[in-house]
Formats: sequence, structure tokens, C-alpha cells
Amino acid sequence: MGLIFLRTAIVFIALLIVMRLMGKRQIGEMQPFELVITLLIAELACIPMADTSIPLLYGIVSVLTIFLLHQCVLLLDLKVRPLKRVIGGKPSLVINKNGVDVSELERNNLDVSDLIESMRSAGYFSLDEVDYALYEANGQFTAMPRENTPKENKVSLPVLIVDDGKYDKHNLALTKTDETFFADILQKQGVKKLKKVFVLTLDGTGKIYLQVRGEKYRSFRISLPEGSTW
Amino acid sequence: MVKMIVSIAVSLALLAGAAVFETLFIDAQFAQVREALEVLEEKVREENALPADTQAVQKLWENKKEKLHAVIPHNDISYIDYWLGEADGCIEAGLYADALSKIEVLLVICKQIPQTYALTFENVF
Repeated sequence: MGLIFLRTAIVFIALLIVMRLMGKRQIGEMQPFELVITLLIAELACIPMADTSIPLLYGIVSVLTIFLLHQCVLLLDLKVRPLKRVIGGKPSLVINKNGVDVSELERNNLDVSDLIESMRSAGYFSLDEVDYALYEANGQFTAMPRENTPKENKVSLPVLIVDDGKYDKHNLALTKTDETFFADILQKQGVKKLKKVFVLTLDGTGKIYLQVRGEKYRSFRISLPEGSTW
Repeated sequence: MVKMIVSIAVSLALLAGAAVFETLFIDAQFAQVREALEVLEEKVREENALPADTQAVQKLWENKKEKLHAVIPHNDISYIDYWLGEADGCIEAGLYADALSKIEVLLVICKQIPQTYALTFENVF
């Protein structure tokens, strides 16, 4: 029983560390330790139940160990504030008034397309529609809409043109534009290297959202080439 | 909060109690079986062991294994059943040299099984 207790505790801690290291991407509406418990408990209960050569007591002991660890983690979560962040993580503010926080996104193993996807799920289709957006410790996405957001004609979905310094060829074709078209725009905006562009999106009204690494985002309008609709 | 601390204390006490009980219980059960096997080994060496001697060990083992099934995997138990059956067959046929080797195996198994449940580095990892 002592062995089972120790082995269960070791696997629990190892899984918890891995879940925390994986970032928000792997978690969905659960605290990391809750996800670890969900992963473990079904297996622990099932194995002695299905395999008659293993005493049922083994399953009971490991489930009781998981319960004990759960209670200990909850207690630490409530009483020891610095440990709360270590065990459960903290919310990540990925969009602020300056635009997308690149380092926060990277820290959570997310990229701009993940962020855009989360924004769409939350009902926002353009990155400049929100003042603040964050991933909660449990991986849920929350956004605070921008005050006085101008009511715009949502002609078509904003598409990602530059993703972390690289053109999205598929979206260039979709919008019937090309790299030189955007190279000119970037030059006019004083952006010398494409590598420095973290995100550039374009919508059907010709509105561009541009964020250069280490700078505040800018949003402006351009004339779309003839026949550019999607 | 109090409920949480009580639940931690109770489950910790239960787990610690179960761990101590398991170690002591397994050690005690296998020590008795080992003792019986050593007596049988002595008789086999002297070539005066009778089928009744093996059956006495088997009876003792049957009593022990009923309780041991709750705490150790049944495969471990079946090893002893198998080797004890083999030793019994050899003694009945008067093959003392063969019986001796089977009893040696049984003695090793009876020594090893309790060690498998000890809290040691190699067992944990």
C-alpha cells in the first residue's frame, strides 16, 4: 500500500508538472490539477476492476491517494498564495491596450492563429475589438470589449496575412493580393523587415490590423485591389 | 476548512495504517510458510518426507492465501501453488532430489514476495 501511495503521488506530481509546462493550450475549463485527477482516476479505478489478478484494494488505495492529494492541493491553493500560482498557474493577459502581448502568448505555447480562434469563439472577429483579453488559469478565454468600438460593416471575415513574420500564402490568394502589395503598405508604415511583423490582418472593408514586435498595434484602412472580395 | 483538514488527516491515517499493516501482515504470513517449508526441506534432504508432510504445508498455505489474496496480486500466489504442487508430486513419486529443487524455488519465492512490497528505491521506481 505504501508503494502504491508513493507511486501514485509521483505520477500525480509528474503529470501536474507536465500539464503546467504545456501551458494553457492543453487545459480546457479545468485547473491543471483537476485535469490530472480526471486523467488518473478513471484508469486507477478501472484496472483492478477489469483485471481480476490485481486485488481491488490496490484500486481503492490509489483512488484514496488521489483524494488525499486533491485535498492537499486544495488546501495549499487556498492557504499558501505563492503556491496557488505554482500549482494552478495564473491568468495570462494576451491583449492589452498596446495590442497583442507576444511574450505572454509564447509563454503559453500559443500563436496568433490560436488567439484569433479564441477571439472568434468569444464573438470578436478583429483583434482591435477588445481592450483586454486573457487566458484564465483554467485555459478559458475572456475578453473585455473596447469602449466606443465603431460600428463597422462586417463585409467579410478578417484574415491573417502575416503570421509571425511570414506571409500566409493561402490568405494572400484568398484576398487576391500578393506579397508586393503588402510590402508597399509595410514600407509606408515604416516597417523595414517583414520578420518584425508579428501580426497583420485584413478585412473586407480594407481595414488592416498591424502589430510590429515591441510596438503598439496600429489599425488603418487601405484600398483593396480590384475584385478583392472573399 | 476543518472538513478538509479532517479528511486529509483521516485519509492519511488510513493510508499509513494500511501500509504498515500490509508490510507486517505479508511478512508474518510468509515467515510462517517459510518455516514450514524449511521443515519440509529438512525431511526431503533426509529422504524421509511423506506426502502427508507436503499436504500439511499445502493446508497451511491454503489458509494463508485466502487472506493474502486481498493484498497481493493473485499471480504471485499462483506461483507458490504451482511449485508446491510440483514438490508434492515429486515427493509422492519418491523423487527427493527433484522435490528438493522445487522446495528451494519455493523458499526463494517466499523470501522475495515480501521484499517486493517493501518501500525501497527499486520498488518505487
